Amino acid sequence: MNKLIQLINSDVRWVRRATLVASVLLGAAIWEYAGHNANPLYMAPLIGSAQSPGVALRLVSFVGDSHFRGAILSSLKLFATGFALALVVAVPFGIILARLAPLRVALESYILVLYVTPMVALIPFVLSILGFGFWPKVLVVFLFAFFPVLYNTLEGARSVKPELLEVAGSFRASEWSIWRDILIPYTLPYALTGIRQATGRALVGMIAAEFFLSTSGLGEVIMVASRTPDMANMLAAISVVTILGVILMRGAQALEQKYSAWRGVDE
Amino acid sequence: MNTRAVDVAAEVTATSRWSNAFFTRDVWAKIFAGLVILAAWQVGVAAFAPRFVAKPLGIIAVFPAVITDAAFLAAVADTLGAVLQGLSIAMVTGLVVGIAMGRVKVFDRLLNLYVNGLYAMPMVAVLPLLATWFGYESNARLATIIFAAFFSIVINARDGARSVPPEYLEVAKSYRAERRYVWFDITLHSSLPYLIAGIRLASGRAMVGAVIAEFYVSLNGVGLYILTHARSFKHNEAVVGVLALAAFGLFVEWAMNWVMRRFLPWARRS
Repeated sequence: MNKLIQLINSDVRWVRRATLVASVLLGAAIWEYAGHNANPLYMAPLIGSAQSPGVALRLVSFVGDSHFRGAILSSLKLFATGFALALVVAVPFGIILARLAPLRVALESYILVLYVTPMVALIPFVLSILGFGFWPKVLVVFLFAFFPVLYNTLEGARSVKPELLEVAGSFRASEWSIWRDILIPYTLPYALTGIRQATGRALVGMIAAEFFLSTSGLGEVIMVASRTPDMANMLAAISVVTILGVILMRGAQALEQKYSAWRGVDE
Repeated sequence: MNTRAVDVAAEVTATSRWSNAFFTRDVWAKIFAGLVILAAWQVGVAAFAPRFVAKPLGIIAVFPAVITDAAFLAAVADTLGAVLQGLSIAMVTGLVVGIAMGRVKVFDRLLNLYVNGLYAMPMVAVLPLLATWFGYESNARLATIIFAAFFSIVINARDGARSVPPEYLEVAKSYRAERRYVWFDITLHSSLPYLIAGIRLASGRAMVGAVIAEFYVSLNGVGLYILTHARSFKHNEAVVGVLALAAFGLFVEWAMNWVMRRFLPWARRS
């Protein structure tokens, strides 16, 4: 028995592989079992039977479904627009605050307050002031992404050593070279942490905007499926959102990791 | 794993600075900036926005009435009660699962895929599912909160349990320490800073989950208070609801800093 426990906890490659396979199969089996035995209004199986195709088959059929492809594209467009706008505004703003220390001191408390405020709470205001359409939803994604990026870039701004700026100043470094050689390298790793946090939050913002403002995209697919109710469609759409989330988070994490070595090189 | 260790270290040093900055240093610059922001808001909204949009003076005018309003207080109590309840459940279960994953490789390999996947999934997406499963009532909110909070606690507890310095475990082993000392005095203790980082992350997500669930299921709480008042164009009152949420967020931030300073000062070396 002890031998067995030692074996399954060992780092041998085939054990690791086998555990991963077991993990996937076990999860799939539980899902399948629940899907077959629960009320179909509550749960759909993963594979299912000929009469009631399960989630996996729905996922396959999504690929050829132009309506669904349109939904994904519309969600991605919303995410990308809001996220890009947030980056374009928050990162330079954070670096400007690194350059102008008094302004940073004056504003950072307010930025902290906005960072901890749940931005979902602002959705009703966006709805009643700006109404429906694409841009109000972009604003929601923007709000979700903006403050994590700004807050973390500001954190980087605090890490810039005043001595470096002083030396640069006394050697009459140009403004551009101060930015290129001091400000950007110091703040970038922190900004990337913010970007990773913002990725997750902006996805929440994307789906929330698609639920509560004018429904569209993947949010609409989930919403329609929950009203029908069509559990297989709903779970398939949720899986797509999850896969999207994993891909985006992994990308952001890889980017963050790549530059994390820059953080506090000479501290 | 690596990034998170950096994260925690950065966060731990950062928080002490934040709290100093927030309460003491350069108070006048902050007050001045705050007044400028409020004035710009007041003038900007009065000049360009429709009448019902919230303005600082309007918010100040309704503030006393709102915070003495029994319905508002009940809403705040509902939401915060649910958040605290959900957070405690998520903390206890998440800690157990996370530490098990951090110390026992086979658990880690079995669960990692699901924990990471569900952590990356935006929790709003499962809201309709949870509403179907738990009914259009307060259980759905509680489930959303737990779902939102659980995975960030698991991930942080796992990283914490993994970061236990191996020397400690070796020493414990060579003195034949009992298993409970290894678990409670070494593993749990040295993963506490990570757990604090996890709680901080989780409480933010939990609050978002609570508000979203209230929107979706129409449950009494701060979220619904904001929604109904914003819909009936009473934006000033609705803003007070947002302020209540922000106050709770700040309170958690402050409380976690306090815990770090008071009980875990050893974690701050970076």
